[in-house]
Amino acid sequence: MSRVWAIATNTFREAVRDKVLHSILFFAVILLFVSPAMREITIGDSDKVVRGVALGGISLIGGIIAIFLGVGLVYKEIERKTIYTLASKPISRWMLLLGKYLGLWITLAVEMLVLGFLYTVIVGTQQGLPSPDIYLALVMLMMELTLVTAWATLFSTFAAPTTAAAYSLCIYLIGHFADDLKMFGEQSDNPAFQELALTLYRVLPNLALFNIRAEAVHGIAVPVSEVGYALLYCVGYSVAVLGVAMVVFERRDFK
Amino acid sequence: MTGVIHTEGLGKVYRSGFLRLPFTGLEGLSLTVPAGTAFGFVGPNGAGKTTAIKILMGIQRQTSGRAFIHGLPIEDPLCRRRVGFVPERPYFYEHLTAAEFLDFYGRLCEVPVPERSRRATRLLERVNLARFANVQLGSFSKGMLQRAGLAQALMGDPDLLVLDEPMSGLDPLGRVLVRDIILEERREGKTVFFSSHILSDIEAICDRVAILVLGKLRGQGTLPELIGQSVQLVDCIFEIGVDLPGPWLREGSRLRAQVPPDDVGPLIDRVRAAGGSVTSIVPQVRSLEDLLLSEVERAAPADARRLGVLA
Repeated sequence: MSRVWAIATNTFREAVRDKVLHSILFFAVILLFVSPAMREITIGDSDKVVRGVALGGISLIGGIIAIFLGVGLVYKEIERKTIYTLASKPISRWMLLLGKYLGLWITLAVEMLVLGFLYTVIVGTQQGLPSPDIYLALVMLMMELTLVTAWATLFSTFAAPTTAAAYSLCIYLIGHFADDLKMFGEQSDNPAFQELALTLYRVLPNLALFNIRAEAVHGIAVPVSEVGYALLYCVGYSVAVLGVAMVVFERRDFK
Repeated sequence: MTGVIHTEGLGKVYRSGFLRLPFTGLEGLSLTVPAGTAFGFVGPNGAGKTTAIKILMGIQRQTSGRAFIHGLPIEDPLCRRRVGFVPERPYFYEHLTAAEFLDFYGRLCEVPVPERSRRATRLLERVNLARFANVQLGSFSKGMLQRAGLAQALMGDPDLLVLDEPMSGLDPLGRVLVRDIILEERREGKTVFFSSHILSDIEAICDRVAILVLGKLRGQGTLPELIGQSVQLVDCIFEIGVDLPGPWLREGSRLRAQVPPDDVGPLIDRVRAAGGSVTSIVPQVRSLEDLLLSEVERAAPADARRLGVLA
């Protein structure tokens, strides 16, 4: 596993030296700094609006980074032909992919830690120390990104970054409306559409499971069972998607 | 099965375009690279040299045949545990410094920590990049990248070094450096398998050679086995004012002729009898280039015509 770790740390190093990532993170920081100003232009419980905007911003930036880094994860190695020397080393392709994924996951985790810390400082200065619910929402967001990254990694094993980004974005958007898809299916009178909608609901990820941001902002407790189910779903689904990615990657010829 | 590299009927068919039309890149390659040799892989562009190397290095999958490295099938990544590889063009991580780059590949080869740092420093010195240890590869020239690539290949202290066109993109000094490293590795008993267009390098370095044309192996063996050492013709130049009967070529005051070795003695006697003197007598030995061109001519007359081998 030391070889997997070597690939993971190299991927992490490459990501943190990526200027595009710096730019996206810069926007996240700007968004966090601007969020306290929301209380000046809102009526009602402005503290909740500030918390909502800050958490929403972190979620959006997290999703962008996961897709942006994920889709280029394998493709860049192939395009730059660095895969030539990697493949010639005594390392299986599945280990190579696992190392790349792990490196990206660490990058996202560090990014979440940085943004979580900035949230604590910026929003905390105005509203006092955030409640644990906020941090739980960030952990759940990390689970969501884990799953989105697995899909982006799968797409990057066979598609160019632009195409892979389009696919990943579709998965990201549909994933957030999975419950609506199920509801449409159940309410439809057409059996064929019903079947299609329910099949899509079962196959595509249900990212709404991980979204407890509204509950965190409003201080509504989330049952432990819900968090536990989300964790199991995240791990099981990500492992399955990565398994498919490994099979695809194993069969690829690098030109 | 013997040899550090052993292939049996290795083939690769590519499919391209909407209709997935087949194109044969490599066909029935059966090759044995004995341990401790410098093995040259020659052939014109598109002969299948890089395809064969990519299959051996796990970059592409063969569509037919089998191959083994150190006795293990190439599908097993562990067969490349003691293999160092430098691809045709230097493609490396631009974000890494030369020292980080070697450390990364050392980790992939599971070189222990203290040795990794020592070996990286030694190798950077060996390829004349010690001054650039903390410079990112993104600012390296092509020749520097090629040398860094060679250092990377040596990080795992390999028994087998596979180099795809290692001299391309190098200046004369770089070529000498790479050639010296190959010779040094061979002296240490390592096996070096490399492809090159520069036939003089192959002749100077290699013990054994394989010739590939249009995806097919046209011959393999030692250079004397392949090109033969017997003198076919002798190029004779004489200083003589008068013309002699025979297929002579006059060059000013000189007469030139290419004759079989047995005819040289009588010819000299005739020249001396006519008052002439010997300027030079040069035996003509077939070169690797002659052999390669004749193989191209045999396998692909159209290509040979394009190259000017055939009229």
